Amino acid sequence: MMRGRTDRLHAGASGFIYSELSAVKRTDYYWLRLVGTGLWFLVFGLVTFVLGFLVLPVIRLLTWDRSRRRRRSRAVLGAGMRAFIHGARGTGCIDFEFIGREKLGRPGQLVVANHPTLIDVCFLLGFAPTASCIVKASHFRNLITRGAVIGAGYIPNAPTEEMIHAAEAALQQGETLLMFPEGTRTVPGKPLAMQRGAANVALRAARVLTPVYISCEPSTLSKNLPWYRIPPSRPKWTLRVGDDIDLEAYRDAPLPIASRRLHSDLAGLFAGGTPVRD
Amino acid sequence: MKSRQEIHDIVRRTLVELFELEAPAVVPEASFNDDLEIDSIDAVDLIDHLSRIFERRVSPRDFRSVRTVNDLIDCIDRLQTQ
Repeated sequence: MMRGRTDRLHAGASGFIYSELSAVKRTDYYWLRLVGTGLWFLVFGLVTFVLGFLVLPVIRLLTWDRSRRRRRSRAVLGAGMRAFIHGARGTGCIDFEFIGREKLGRPGQLVVANHPTLIDVCFLLGFAPTASCIVKASHFRNLITRGAVIGAGYIPNAPTEEMIHAAEAALQQGETLLMFPEGTRTVPGKPLAMQRGAANVALRAARVLTPVYISCEPSTLSKNLPWYRIPPSRPKWTLRVGDDIDLEAYRDAPLPIASRRLHSDLAGLFAGGTPVRD
Repeated sequence: MKSRQEIHDIVRRTLVELFELEAPAVVPEASFNDDLEIDSIDAVDLIDHLSRIFERRVSPRDFRSVRTVNDLIDCIDRLQTQ
């Protein structure tokens, strides 16, 4: 581990500690990546806003059937997110690999993923755009994102009762649902703090429960660092879709007990070194 | 219309079954959060279960001030007269 004078300590999976006087060689066109990252942030905000406040409302006006409207809105957002990731890769700011993405998007499928970076959702919804998603309630108030999340019919994570029932309804209607059980980004260096909602929803209504393990090397866009602390080399996201989890094994106990067991097992799966490099 | 004692028995039995609690722990003064370790996710399960038993759509709003087992019994008693 290299140590330099630091303001903030970042003990991420990469083991790098960032400093103003970086002892680590900056590669992959660091300064261009920095500018690029900033620009992509601006583009992302702008496009999200425009899609949410112009495109989705137009879809709403033109499509009377609610489920078709929802599908179209999500397809548009998904396309936007895919374009964003591909653009970020094409300009050399990021790299990524998504293993097993064809396993996502099944009816009644609950997809659970860990949440190391800010843009995890872009990969997941970008490549499984028909899915609904449980989203931080604050996004429904944020001016940039609210048009998009409301138009796509995503589900706010509070109040608890409404979230659970809305998630249940979505799965029962045959949608794919994406949840980040941690509820927020992982704090690097700390264990995953998953909440029980995902396990509960899975046992209530999921036909299939599928984990996705996400890692980013070197770490970036994590909870403890500002966006401009980009890593010395190009960050690469690796997403691996895991095997479906057998829910039948949990159905022999009352829901509160079963969901605690499933929650514990899920936490174990994700804590077990999120083995992305096989 | 169920008597308060009947409601008390049903609630106690439900809590013991749903959460695998020890029957002696489920006293009227027991607090859901502190004594019985029943959190907000559990509360949704509990409310759904009770709604089925009492054949009433019970909403979380009704339970806003419920802290103890006693509060819950009072709440259900009140609801069934509405």
